[in-house]
Amino acid sequence: MIKDYFNKMKGTSKSPPAVSLSEIGWSWIGAFLGIAAVAYINFNRIEDTDMVMIIGSFGASAVLIYGAIKSPLAQPRNLIGGHVFSAIIGVASYQIFNSHMWLASSVAVATAIAFMHATKTLHPPGGATALIAVIGSEKIHGLGYLYAIVPVGLGAVIMLVVALLVNNITKTRKYPEFWF
Amino acid sequence: MSKRPEKKKNFNGLEISDKDILEAMKDIPGYIDITTGDFKELYRLASRHSLKRITQSIKAGDIMTVEVIAVKRKTPLKEVAKLMAEQGVSGVPVIEEDRKVAGIISENDFLTRMGAGDTKTFMGIVAKCLKGKACVALSIRAKNAEDIMTSPAVSVNEETTLLEITNIFKERKINRVPVVDSKGYLTGIVSREDIVEAPFFKRDILS
Repeated sequence: MIKDYFNKMKGTSKSPPAVSLSEIGWSWIGAFLGIAAVAYINFNRIEDTDMVMIIGSFGASAVLIYGAIKSPLAQPRNLIGGHVFSAIIGVASYQIFNSHMWLASSVAVATAIAFMHATKTLHPPGGATALIAVIGSEKIHGLGYLYAIVPVGLGAVIMLVVALLVNNITKTRKYPEFWF
Repeated sequence: MSKRPEKKKNFNGLEISDKDILEAMKDIPGYIDITTGDFKELYRLASRHSLKRITQSIKAGDIMTVEVIAVKRKTPLKEVAKLMAEQGVSGVPVIEEDRKVAGIISENDFLTRMGAGDTKTFMGIVAKCLKGKACVALSIRAKNAEDIMTSPAVSVNEETTLLEITNIFKERKINRVPVVDSKGYLTGIVSREDIVEAPFFKRDILS
């Protein structure tokens, strides 16, 4: 039994093949435009306010919605649902457990994953969104549950719009595979 | 009698290699978010499901032979044998005057009563003959269909699935089943040959 356990760590499968140059190019263009949209609003439009438009987990979302657009994890349901649910869970976890930051962090991420699974909205960057609600700046903490709407919800929607526009330009790409 | 060796492997779907999957992935532009191992597992399970769906969607009514060669209870065995030989069938249903199924006669029913013993094969008879024991069919010469038929016959209805029929063949070790309607009247027969000949299994299914 121990042997079986360690044998599982060997790996038995193969990595998918490398993508074409055009796929690499379109991934770059999508990610550039998607991140540019939220980053421009964040740094050039609302810099002097208490508002935030960009959070780190959007970088992770960009990998999926511009780089692996067929993945179930990259579909609109997962992108929006995963971010918004995880944001709410992250804020709640911070507000309840903020006297023990290690606990607030771990409860936020673990619960976000469980909730995303249960609601079929698994989106890996959601884990980061939940974590940022706990370990983020005072500006983030100050937002309270608004964090789930702006920056998280609105930012995800902006990136989704860019994905819809860019991922459908070429013949070989199409997005989304499904909406809900 | 020695047991026949087990020679069939379990059906696991058509074998597919990592290379096949990688080639197919290259045919699809874009990053495919799945490993070859996961794909293989999906393929194996999906083909099992589709096989089940196919074998359950084909019904006895779709593949049965409608023009059944049948005999009556009182048909003399020499006529039954002649008919089976002429028509090239290895079994016939025995029907009542009103076409209700009374039983079925197969080569096995003849063989057992002709001294083939437990083997119930033609070679069993040859073996007995060569040993010099009585082996002729004379003992049943004067008998009728109803005297040697297997009764009641295992039968199915037109809605019975191909999967169930193949299981019946396997479990009962028989080669044909009469198809009857709700009142027990004969409407057709499904033999092993009907399954092999079923339109679904034609070679051009792949093209």
